[in-house]
Amino acid sequence: MDAVVLQALNGVSMGALLFLLASGFTLTFGLGRVVNLAHGAFYLLGGYVGLTVLRTTGHFWLALFGGGAVIIIVSWVCDRYLIRRTRDNVLGQVLLTVGIAYVLADVCLAVWGGNPLRLPPPEFARGPIDLPGGIVYPRYRFLLIIFGLIVAGVLWLLYTRTQLGALVRAGVDDREMVDALGIDVDRLFALVFGLAAFLAGVSGVAGGAFLTLYPGAEWDILAYALVVVIVGGLGSLGGAMIGSLIVGLVDAYGRWLLPEFSYFMVFGPMALLLLVRPTGLFGRES
Amino acid sequence: MTRVAVGIAAGLALAAPLVLDTFWISLVTQMLIFGLLALGVDLLTGHTGILPMGHAGFFAVAAYATAILDARHGQGFWLSAGGGVLAALLLAVVFGFSVRTGGVYFILLTLALGHIVWGVAMRWTTFTGGENGVSNVPPPVIAGVRFAELSRYYYLVLGVVIACALGYRVLVRSPFGLALRGIRESEMRMRGLGYHVFAHKYCAFVLSAFLAGVAGVLYAYWNRFVSPAAATFHASAEAVLVGILGGSGTILGPFVGAAIILGIRNWLSGYVGWWTAIMGGVFIVTVLWAPHGLIGLLRQASAQVTAGGGALTTAGDRAVPDAHESSAAGKPRP
Repeated sequence: MDAVVLQALNGVSMGALLFLLASGFTLTFGLGRVVNLAHGAFYLLGGYVGLTVLRTTGHFWLALFGGGAVIIIVSWVCDRYLIRRTRDNVLGQVLLTVGIAYVLADVCLAVWGGNPLRLPPPEFARGPIDLPGGIVYPRYRFLLIIFGLIVAGVLWLLYTRTQLGALVRAGVDDREMVDALGIDVDRLFALVFGLAAFLAGVSGVAGGAFLTLYPGAEWDILAYALVVVIVGGLGSLGGAMIGSLIVGLVDAYGRWLLPEFSYFMVFGPMALLLLVRPTGLFGRES
Repeated sequence: MTRVAVGIAAGLALAAPLVLDTFWISLVTQMLIFGLLALGVDLLTGHTGILPMGHAGFFAVAAYATAILDARHGQGFWLSAGGGVLAALLLAVVFGFSVRTGGVYFILLTLALGHIVWGVAMRWTTFTGGENGVSNVPPPVIAGVRFAELSRYYYLVLGVVIACALGYRVLVRSPFGLALRGIRESEMRMRGLGYHVFAHKYCAFVLSAFLAGVAGVLYAYWNRFVSPAAATFHASAEAVLVGILGGSGTILGPFVGAAIILGIRNWLSGYVGWWTAIMGGVFIVTVLWAPHGLIGLLRQASAQVTAGGGALTTAGDRAVPDAHESSAAGKPRP
């Protein structure tokens, strides 16, 4: 019984991490129709930058936000000079972002080397925590769940209660109309893309503390984020929330019950879902 | 021009083992195998206008099946190779339903499906050997002839590739191939004309997986070793890039692209450790500045010459039809 609850916690904390990554991906797609396969590389680079900041300054929060901030700059350059030039050309865009991911991953390899690196969690998040019901759980992963919930709450408020969120929602629904109303959609998109990149960088730092950072991690985590986005439906923030919870839980129980086929446990149901609902649970026509 | 190019290519290919040393024969064999995979992928990207990001999965499944049948169970060439191609086909029959989804969903779905194959190859250690892979694949023996030396195996690969390319040529010029290009240009219109769009896409998907499977079998006997590296996302993405780099929608293009990519990699990896970044650069440059590929650039240049220069705009129209623009334009807003 305890194992079942532990796996549930593992699943939810993984889901929290996936949400940080997938929410940005899904909004980027919803607003700009940009399929950014470099999102995983943003995660990895953010994690590595955070690690370096942590080693030099010793401040975890500085590392968390520093990793995100650096990725904002990287993403701005990518958007302004590369991705924007392939608008409405999905095939080209996908290959372009793969190219960006290759370049970023190689830079990471050259700077931080090929061995898996682990970000040490901050003082306040070390050791176990006693949860009600006599369950002992790593404190870091428990705090990650709370962090994920906070970010989800803030994003949700931003999305549903602010003018900016209203603009983004309008842009997701009908980009041309928003453009015609005199709103600079390119600038709006740059803002959303920056936010997405920031979240990717932050999730790299957060994930680096329990998944470790290594060359290839960018594709491993991106594959999971894609499943989240596909299950939830591209462009849907609520879909990303539910999707990351489902994928995190399925993954945790899959690893526990069928370790050899855990990948299949995650990707198989997703493929079946897409056959029934080609646009995911909450998606719209692409 | 195309005939001359094909003639030169055929001459070079036949003479290659006579003048090249083992390293280069091995590299050229690899180019042919990877080019065949890219040719299969290009049936979808170049002709049908959909972008599969998981075709290394079929390639790897065929390679694994062949390697396991031959190395572990000693089934001989015909059974192992046939089993490999059959495995890829069976997988494609299942994964083929992904063509029900369109646009971005198809790209992401095939990416995830390809990842399943990689994950199984990696984790199902009792069957696939995990990261150690399947080694000691014996050289193929066909009708008593052992293809042990590389130069001899090269001719086997060349023969298979030429047969596949000729079949491919017939296929893309058939009414079926024309219907695929119709779907690329406008799926709605083809549906309106009464074509069964799903059936066409599904068949194209299975056929392209068949070519990937044949390439996988050739790869297993060339490398004598199969590991999860064959199924990575990198291999899938590069197979797409190779087709576009050479010239999407052509038969020679994927092989030209494979030659360039593998050439760059083998040449550079001897000098600098940056080849992944350089590969990324090739991706970026191809998409931004050469979306029609090298064959497109050549055609553009030759059209300019014949038109007496100054015909840049018309030459652009004559270049290879662009899978990129049409994939976006093919989906009118509802």
